[in-house]
Parts: sequence; structure tokens; C-alpha cells
Amino acid sequence: MNPVVYLSTRFRLITSFLAMAILVGGLSLIVGARLLTASVFNEASNRVRQDLNTAQEIYRSAVDRLTLGLTLVALQPEFRQAVGGRDQADIASCVGTLADQLDLDFAGLVSPEGLTLYRSSPRPGDPASVNPAAALALERRASLSGTLALSQAELAAEDPELAARARIPLVPTPMAEPRAESEETAGLTLACALPIYAAPDGASRLLGVLYGGVLLNRNNEIVDRVRDTVFQQEVYRGRQVGTSTLFFKDLRIATNVLDSRGQRAIGTLISAEVKRRVLDQGERWTARAFVVRDWYITAYEPIADVNGRTVGMLYVGVLEAKYADLRRKAMLVFVLITAAGMVLAVALGSLLSSRMLNPMQRLIEASHRVSQGDLSPEIGPYSRSELGVLQRTFQEMLGSLRDRDRHQKAESELRLLQSEKQASVGRLAAGVAHEINNPLTGVLTFTHLLLKRGDLDAEMREDLTTIAGATERVRKIVKGLLDFSRQSKLEPQSTDLNDLVTATIPLVANQALVKGVLFCFDAGSGIPARTIDRNQFQSVLLNIILNALDATQTGGHIDITTRLALTDGRQGIQIAIADTGHGIPAEHLERIFDPFFTTKEVGKGTGLGLSVSQGIVARHGGSIRVQSQVGKGSTFTIWLPLEGEVL
Amino acid sequence: MVDDDPVVRSSCRRILEAEGHRVRLCASAPEALAELGREACQLLLADVIMPEFDGLYLIGSVRRSSPDLPILVMSGYPTPETIASGQKMGATHFIAKPFTPEELSAAVARALGGRQKE
Repeated sequence: MNPVVYLSTRFRLITSFLAMAILVGGLSLIVGARLLTASVFNEASNRVRQDLNTAQEIYRSAVDRLTLGLTLVALQPEFRQAVGGRDQADIASCVGTLADQLDLDFAGLVSPEGLTLYRSSPRPGDPASVNPAAALALERRASLSGTLALSQAELAAEDPELAARARIPLVPTPMAEPRAESEETAGLTLACALPIYAAPDGASRLLGVLYGGVLLNRNNEIVDRVRDTVFQQEVYRGRQVGTSTLFFKDLRIATNVLDSRGQRAIGTLISAEVKRRVLDQGERWTARAFVVRDWYITAYEPIADVNGRTVGMLYVGVLEAKYADLRRKAMLVFVLITAAGMVLAVALGSLLSSRMLNPMQRLIEASHRVSQGDLSPEIGPYSRSELGVLQRTFQEMLGSLRDRDRHQKAESELRLLQSEKQASVGRLAAGVAHEINNPLTGVLTFTHLLLKRGDLDAEMREDLTTIAGATERVRKIVKGLLDFSRQSKLEPQSTDLNDLVTATIPLVANQALVKGVLFCFDAGSGIPARTIDRNQFQSVLLNIILNALDATQTGGHIDITTRLALTDGRQGIQIAIADTGHGIPAEHLERIFDPFFTTKEVGKGTGLGLSVSQGIVARHGGSIRVQSQVGKGSTFTIWLPLEGEVL
Repeated sequence: MVDDDPVVRSSCRRILEAEGHRVRLCASAPEALAELGREACQLLLADVIMPEFDGLYLIGSVRRSSPDLPILVMSGYPTPETIASGQKMGATHFIAKPFTPEELSAAVARALGGRQKE
């Protein structure tokens, strides 16, 4: 057999509340987290895109500054005269001043024939090697400015020192596309080249090309300016929030992204994916990316050189941790709210279930107490719900139980009182009988002896006869007392009660016949034999029938019926003896089973018959009840349980 | 005849002597035993409840020395238990007190008659 598992209603209720809280909380947590992530990263991406625009502007302004500086020199008449006159000293003075003022890494003058007339460097290289920017301007006969990559040789031609400065050893970088070489020798530059004409209108004879530029390798000026302008040195958890980098191809050549040692991460490479998207496909790219050692929200812009080829990238990035922490904090608040909701749900659930179930619990406890015999258990105040109806009904049920209990107690107390009465009378009777019988023997003996004498006159004989009669009466009373007091052992035997009644009626038939009273016996069917003391039980029947006969007038009848009947819920045999006699007044009804109570005239009854009868029936586990109506008759009902102890 | 009550003793003597019996009266069990030792008799009529040595003791003692003697027991407390214990000790007949002269005569006749029949 499976054991039945009882889930308490309280448990179910709280679980339901909790499930609802988890569902709602969890759902809002998931949705909230998505929205939050999206909005935080959108915000961050937007910012980074704007920052990239600013960075581009700063980069462009560096080119503009360079162009402006060179243009100002080119417009000076003295400079044109010097160039026209090929006055080496004057050229050196003008270009040298320019280089100093603009802090140029290289500057020079190229003749229209394509020979380098002057280089500002202290160690000028081969005049035949012409700076590519200048060569381009010469070829196009137009000024140009912008980004330009210079090879190691081209750098060295300007200044061997510059070539050395441009060299950057490659640092192996995770997620990057590996390079075959171990160092970068070329350099990325900002360069400007201006054709110089004899007259400023530009239509006259070409005198030469003025050029100048700065090397961007290891030149952190631009990236730091971007950082300081855009991010204003904002620091989060000891790290710069904003970073900016200048890439030459996929190599970091100027940056304020720091490596694990706290050094600028110059020499590290871009991740393969960014390289493909930005360098190879020339797209602007914004995404979350792992930069050197941290996650950043990044934006990359390709840098095209003066020929329109993509040669590098400009990057700005915002430390993701700042936004991630923001999101984490918001998530924490969400989680806390959800947890609070769950706690609230449990609290609310238990509160509600207490309010709903406490009356139920009390009812259950109360019914336990009732089953243990306490008929007045506390069930608490009435609930206003349907439970209240149950509580009221329960109370009403207890009320009737208490009434029944009281009734039964009263009845058993009465029975106890009766048997005590009987016992004390019995003890008295035994003592009295013994003491009285001896003198009574003397009285009887001598009265009868006197009566036997032949010399008595009529009056004396009559007096003696009266004494003898009175003494007989005393003898009967004492005998009755003794019978009453006798608690002799019952001799039980299996008896058919119908047979017993049938056998008893003939014993009184003569008396009934004389009096003119009719007997009717209605024998019930299906009455099983029962163990009783046949003689004593017959004396009970006789006693009641004789009483009925005494009470019934000529022409009346006595009905005896037997049947099965319930008493106090127990099955038993009932013998009812109903007469049509004068009945018993109500005030006598409660006393008729008392010893010595009699309504018969003096000398006709001892008042012990019913008392003794009741004692006998009680010892068989049964009872005698009487119903009577004055003038109509009385009914004595003997009831014996089917199964009963015989004491 | 043994009884502690003189009224009963004199009643019995009057009835039985009127019937022509010879009656010897004793007030207690020891006295009766002494009397029986002196002279044999045909019937012992004894009360049950007596002070000190009761009738049952007497019946028991007599029954041991005279197994065939009829014993008529009388009692003012004639419960079935009293009668049964008298019979158990060896009483042959029983009569309840009080009795009329006719009742006692009849009981004595029955006790003696039973004896004669044996």
C-alpha cells in the first residue's frame, strides 16, 4: 500500500506565493537585465563613436597645423627669393626656423629637377633620395598634406636618427594575426609638401617643393591630447577610463593603453577580427573588444594616406568595467528587489495561511481533545469565512454531546444511589433477621401451644389467633428483608425467554381467572437464547405480573410482549408487561423501585418486590423501566442486552 | 438441642417433649460435645450462629465421632450459603427460624424418619 502523503495547505499556499514571486521576479530580472545591458552598451557605444569623431578632429587639426606652418613659410617673399637664388644659408635659416617652431621631425626643400636642395636634419642623407611627399607634390605640381608611410630607407634619408626612432619591436599579442618579422622598421608620418613658385599666383615658374612632417611612431602627443580632451583624465578603479591609440597597419605605434607592466603598449598588435574589418575592409567599427588586457567598448576608424590607401587606424575605447559595474549594480538592485519580493511572498503567504488555517488547526485540535473525552475544548473566535459555519456546527454538535453526557452521568449516579441504598438495607436486614428470629420462635411456639389447649374461651382463642397472625406477618416481613439482602450467586443457564414467559403464565393463571383478567402473550420472533438465572428471572416476571394483576380490575387484560429492541444504541431483548389497571401516580413513579415503598394495604406487601426485581435484572446487565397513566394502566419494560455479563 | 438463646431452647423443649421426645438442652457447642460424650442420642438439633464456637464447628466435631447421627440445623439467617455450608459440614436437615410447633415436629420427624429408613 502506498503511504498517503499529506501536504499541508499552509505549505501549498506559501509555495504558490513563492512560485509567483520567483516567476515575476525572475522574468523581470531577465527582461531588465537585457534592457539594461542594451541601454548601457548603446550609451557607451554612442559615446565612443562621438569620441572617435573628436579624435579624428584632433588628428586632422594636427595635419592642418602642419600645413598652415609650411604655407606661412612658403608665402614669405624672402623665402621665395632664397629658394629662387638657391641661397643655401637663407634656405637653411627659414626651413630650420620652421622645423624648430613646428617641432618637425623632418623638413627640406626639393628642386624642380628632383634633387633635395636642403634637409633640416643635422645628418642629411643622399640628395638624390627625395622625400615621397615632396616627390608626389612635384609630380602633381600641387600641394598635399596628410598621412604617409615612410620606409626605413626613406626615413634614414631624412635622418638616420629618425629611422632608429621609428623602429618598434613587435610584442606577441593574443588574438592577433602573427607577423613574420620581429620588428617594424617603417614609420607612419604626418607630412605636407608645397610647391614654391616665383610669384605667389602659382602660374609662374616652379622654384622647388617645400616639405615637412612629423613621425607618428612613438609620438604620443596626438593620442594623449585625445585622451585629455575627451576623457579629461577620468580614472576608474585606478585605470584610465578612456584610451586612444594610433595604429600603423595593425601595430600600435602611439597609445595610452597600458600593458601589464604599466607601460604604453607600443609594439602590440590589433586582434585579427578588427584588422580584417577595419584595415582590410576599410570600415568604421564599434564593438566590445579585448584590448591588451581589459575589455573596452571600442571604436576604430581607418586612416587613409595621401594616396587614399588605408595605412593605419585611429582608436578610442572606454573601459567596459565602468559600465559593467554600473550594470552589475543595477542587476544587484533587481536581484535584491526580487529577493525582497520572495521574502514578502513567504511572509504574506504564511500570514494569509495563518489567518485562513488557524481556525482549521484549532478545530482539528479540538476534535482530538473531544476524542480524548474533553467535551468543552477551546476552538477560538468564530471565523468570518465558511469556516465559521463549520465552527458553529461543531459547537452545536459538542453541545448535544455534552447534553447526552450529562444525561448519562445523571442516570448512572441514580443507579449507583439505588444500589447503595439496596446494600445498606441488605446489611440492616441481615442483622435484624438474625436478632428477631429467635424471639419470634418463642412467640410463635408459645402462641401455638396455647392455642392447642382445650380450656380456652372464645375470646381468649380469638386474641391468641390475632397474636399468631401478627407474628406470621412479622415472619413474612423478616423473610422479605432477608430475600432482599441476599446477594446469592446467580446460576446462569441458556434460556429462551419466550419459553420462560410461556412457563410463567400458568403459575398465575388461576388467580387471573378468579379475578376475571385476561392474559395476552405476543411472543416476538428471532429472539435468541440468552444466559440468565432462570429461577430468579422467573421470580422477577412473577413479581411484575402479580403487581399488574393486583392493579387490574375485572374485565381488564395484561399484555405481555417480547421483541428485540435497541437501548442506548445496544441491541437487546425487551419484555413489556402492560396492564389496564389503575396506573401509578407521577409522584410514586420515581419511588416504586425503592425498598419498602408500597402502596398496597398493610400486610399485603413488603415493598421489596420491585426493588429485588430491579436488583436481579441489573445483575444481568439489564434495566426495568416503567411508564404509567393514572386510570389507564402501567407498562413495565424489562430490557436485557443480547451479550451481557451476569454478575 | 443446642442454642445460645434460652427462649429458643425452652420453645424447642416444650414442642418436642409434647411430642414425647426426651430432650437435653445445651447452651453452647463445648457443652453439647460434653453431653454427647456422656450419653448417646438419636438426633442433634443445633443452631448455626453462636458466640465463640459456632454450630458449624459443632457439626464438624460431632460428624467425626458419630458419622451416622442425623443433624437438624436451624438458623435465623437462612441464606442458601448458610444452608450449603451446614450441609458441607455434615448436617442432614435444615429448618429456618422462626418456626411453628407443627413445622419443627415435621422437620424432626423427617430427620428421624430418614435415619430410620437408612
